Amino acid sequence: MTSAARYIRAWWAEVVALWNQFWFRPADPATLCLVRICAGAMLVYTHLVWSLDLQAFFGDKSWLPRATLDALQVDSFSWTYLWWFGNSPVALWSVHLLALVVFALFTIGLFTRVTSILSAVATLAYIHRVPGALFGLDQINAMLAIYLAVGPSGAAYSVDHWLKRRAGNPAESPPLWTANLAIRLIQIHLCIIYLFAGTAKLTGPAWWDGTAMWMALGNMEYQSLDMTWLADWPRLINLMTHVTVYWEIFYCALIWPRVTRPVMLLLAIPLHMGIAICLGMVTFGLVMLIANLAFVPSEFVRAVIPPRRQGRAGDDERTAKQSALRSNRPSASPAKR
Amino acid sequence: MRAVVSVLVALHVFAVFVGPWALPPQNSELSASAARALRPYLEVFALANGYRFFAPEPGPSHLVRFEATLDDGTLETGTFPDKREHVPRLLYHRYFMLSEFASTLNNPNLPGDRGGAVARGYAEHLIAAHHAKTVRLFLRRHFVPRPEEVRRGMQLSDKALYQEQPLGVFTRDTP
Repeated sequence: MTSAARYIRAWWAEVVALWNQFWFRPADPATLCLVRICAGAMLVYTHLVWSLDLQAFFGDKSWLPRATLDALQVDSFSWTYLWWFGNSPVALWSVHLLALVVFALFTIGLFTRVTSILSAVATLAYIHRVPGALFGLDQINAMLAIYLAVGPSGAAYSVDHWLKRRAGNPAESPPLWTANLAIRLIQIHLCIIYLFAGTAKLTGPAWWDGTAMWMALGNMEYQSLDMTWLADWPRLINLMTHVTVYWEIFYCALIWPRVTRPVMLLLAIPLHMGIAICLGMVTFGLVMLIANLAFVPSEFVRAVIPPRRQGRAGDDERTAKQSALRSNRPSASPAKR
Repeated sequence: MRAVVSVLVALHVFAVFVGPWALPPQNSELSASAARALRPYLEVFALANGYRFFAPEPGPSHLVRFEATLDDGTLETGTFPDKREHVPRLLYHRYFMLSEFASTLNNPNLPGDRGGAVARGYAEHLIAAHHAKTVRLFLRRHFVPRPEEVRRGMQLSDKALYQEQPLGVFTRDTP
């Protein structure tokens, strides 16, 4: 009995240690901040395109007016501030332009703590207003906007960071547990998305007999590239169909080991770029790849996009001198540290 | 602090899982109960998604065709989505999703007249946009030909691949 209790206690301690390691280990925010730039740019573009038909989708005589949504969503919690502005084109345009400015500031990383939260609120507001015009892009936009608001998404590669350096603060952000938390949330959410995307396909005969990809690529309304030549290559269609299903189902397991992660990430590129190029959903294909960036190690991101001090020698020295002047202490050159 | 965040994270991850797990029509009583309990959270954070991309399998696509009769008797017609009119592609896709939405909800097994509510909304928009007296809506189903049919020379736009069903006639004062 005593040894059993000891075993359970040791097991529980290990579970707690692994949980803490997984969620609360401080991490370099580089990956999160790269995701911010890409996801922010996608938010800007997504909402810029709404501008082309703003009144038709968000005005009082829109495709989905209040009466329709009230009939569809009884006692709904899908609140949106856009209802307040639908009756006045001037008010609607004003609040829309404001949202575009917020998304742009968020992308460049200016006032990121505030603009990240406002971006998440605005993204959800647009989603809740036009449920009938949404697709996968909007789901991933919302996911990324929310998690980027949770973590310190402006800690690197941002105007905020540049301003901090100019003011004499340390060159690079230290590892932060909140950066790790946000990245982990994106990773887990993405695994759940792929798991259900894959398992839902198991109920469709076309995903088993290997013809599903033909049914997607041969759909004229989706098609942006003529892929009917594939009719002469049935086994290639079969292969694409089977790889898609198995990749989606096993993603949640194989994305974690170091050995298989690069393979899964590399396979994500043809899969999502195929959707982008052949099925006309460039935005959806790209936003899925942006979400996959969450699995790219921050060391790799730093290697590809080096910190500014490597690009402009002397920046750190100048910053350190400014800092020392403010605190009336002798400056310490980073070269001598 | 860490304990509080851990509880919040665990609840959130559970909610993220429940969203697709409980989405009808293929769900269990257990998943539906979990979704009911978490409904405010799922709806506020837009987590009630199935993520069932092209599942159970890619099917036919749907378009909405309309005929708007103006006060002077002129007939204006159109279809959405329309690749020539709706540019860039993302705007086209918004219109494509509107027509797919009409098709999804045009299902007699769904509670209430959801399909009717959506069609009425579309018609009211078209009446206002065209200053029309009457709008007739049709749902066009566009099937995908089999590979062997394409090998025999069938085009994706072949008329035999389309089916049309009326969604209703709506006048300016339709209640």
